[in-house]
Amino acid sequence: MLLVPYLLLLLNYLVSGYGVLTLFRLRLKTAYMITLSVLLGVAVASVVPFLLQLLFIPLTPVSVFGGLILTALALNIPGIRRMRKEGRTAFRRSFAAPPFRILPYEIPFIVIFVFFAAVSIWRCYYLPPTSRDALSGPEAIAEFAVREHTMINSFFGIDLSTTNNQFKSPFLISLQVICKMAGFPFGQIWLSAVFVSFMVFLYHALKEKLHPIIAGLLLLLFLMTPEVYAYTFMILYDYSNMVFFFLSLWFLFGYFRNKTSSWFYFSGLLMGIATYIRSETLVLALLFLPPILLAQARERMTVKKIALADLYFFLPSLLGYLLPGPFYIGHYLPVHYDVSGLVNNNLTNWDPLFQRYSDILSHLIASTFGVRLWGYIYYFAAFFLVAGMFFPGRFNRDARNWLYAMLVLYLGLGALGFFLPLIDLNDTTKRELFKMLPLLLLYLANNAALIRLSQWISRWEGSPIVIGKRLAVAQPSVPAKKPLAPANPTGNKPGPRSSKKRRKK
Amino acid sequence: MKSFILTIVSFLLILVTLNAGYYPTWFKSKPVQYWTDLMKEMNDTLDPSGIMKSRYGISYVISMRVKEVIERKNIPNVVILFEPNSYYRDSLHIYPNVHAPEPAVFYYYTGLEGVWTNSPDVGKANYLVKVTKKGVTLDAIKNPEQLRQILAFYRKFTPIL
Repeated sequence: MLLVPYLLLLLNYLVSGYGVLTLFRLRLKTAYMITLSVLLGVAVASVVPFLLQLLFIPLTPVSVFGGLILTALALNIPGIRRMRKEGRTAFRRSFAAPPFRILPYEIPFIVIFVFFAAVSIWRCYYLPPTSRDALSGPEAIAEFAVREHTMINSFFGIDLSTTNNQFKSPFLISLQVICKMAGFPFGQIWLSAVFVSFMVFLYHALKEKLHPIIAGLLLLLFLMTPEVYAYTFMILYDYSNMVFFFLSLWFLFGYFRNKTSSWFYFSGLLMGIATYIRSETLVLALLFLPPILLAQARERMTVKKIALADLYFFLPSLLGYLLPGPFYIGHYLPVHYDVSGLVNNNLTNWDPLFQRYSDILSHLIASTFGVRLWGYIYYFAAFFLVAGMFFPGRFNRDARNWLYAMLVLYLGLGALGFFLPLIDLNDTTKRELFKMLPLLLLYLANNAALIRLSQWISRWEGSPIVIGKRLAVAQPSVPAKKPLAPANPTGNKPGPRSSKKRRKK
Repeated sequence: MKSFILTIVSFLLILVTLNAGYYPTWFKSKPVQYWTDLMKEMNDTLDPSGIMKSRYGISYVISMRVKEVIERKNIPNVVILFEPNSYYRDSLHIYPNVHAPEPAVFYYYTGLEGVWTNSPDVGKANYLVKVTKKGVTLDAIKNPEQLRQILAFYRKFTPIL
């Protein structure tokens, strides 16, 4: 009975997200276009009720769904105009679509992915939210927002001395309001759209560089991280934050390769969404300024151009921080949040900082507890990090970028825990570490040993094809005497330059 | 033929992963158990309230019983005082199986205002949810003196989540 509302919601996500993609004139392969559209659509939907609230418009089904439809239409106006000028080819051209084809040896992996997805989707749909962080904040606010037509509702009139979850981003509240209004008593079902889209995106991203069997194995290891899998059906901020943070870096590193400015600005938008979901992402975003400046210097951009480009890049993140944070909390909510009282006052004592770095490694990762959280994915990555050192192109540019991202995340999370002791190790830092896993996977996708293994399998296979085209084997982009393989021989189309580079083996 | 061999390799890789180290323990106790639950849940006829009861457990059941009583007696401006969870832990030894919801979660469950013994608004409390090993009672707090006595009794038990 709820299938129709869910399909309509998905359609709305798809159309809104597609509109955003066309605004950036991004032309990607179909799998990326669809999954990104859904993910961006969820992000757009998460802003609509919040904006209505900022404008003091009552949150009724008419205003919320009207707002969603109008936003979807507005975002597609440029695309519709282009279509009117150029006909349907404009729409078709926006998809760089290789013929869809699943190879027989992908099927076992797909079957198990479907199993994991089915369980997760069902639990999202059937069970109510359970995490205390949701129940004592965003979920309760959303529940009463549906009844009272405002996010600033009677929930703020009760004793909230045991929680600070009422100050968290409206991202979750907005999405819960939409799903509850659509007829889902527990909301949550938006998370399934995020989860499934991200899995499909990640699988294709891995297959760009690796043989489908290895890509499948990596995705299986990711799916089988017990802690992260639990958050595919337990609404909170961390899973979605991980998704958009990763996507931002995927496009940023893509920009480093293809120098296409739209990828750079799109990456900035995605980082802005990640910051909107979790405000401390702003700090992590700023830590990517050095490689951005380096890339811009290599392009010989003028200082003025660099300043302007970087301003545009960080603007969404600043808005994502300021709008739901100081602006909304400071000027709309009847209760205020004194962050100054939560900051570490003893910044000269660095022992807690080093202790935090040590604890992240020894307690959260390399421990029995770590195995219960993440499975063996870190051990797998460590093994191939060492193994990769024995192969040419061991630290190719992409591998370096993803390793840098992992280092930034590790250092950033430790520093955040040091400055804000509220970010404790076992809860917040643990969940912030979700972001490490897709970075780890993309490092592995650029690991010289795994690439060699992929090449070996595809050579043995003899008919190296993937999704209708040649097999995914990629070369670490280092000037090697003996080229390992084409930079992107898959036929996949991550970006304009890489597609130009495509060549036959 | 090679494609077939690679399909077998895929199967083997999945099997090895599912049976390596901690993975089988987790896989059986979580995804497989969830699948078993799914099969049962698809056939049940519980409404959202019934699902919440089975999911949230005793804390939700107590909260909803309180709500029922308050609604039945049509009592206005109710503020419910909960005993500290440390009392259930240290004195009754029934924690965490039985625990009081925090005020925000109690409001989410019931739409009623609740307070803990250390809440800034504890002075407004006019009903006490009292849990004993025999059951749960909802006692009226008739005057500030009675409230003071109740708070004095629980003073040594710090409220915990």
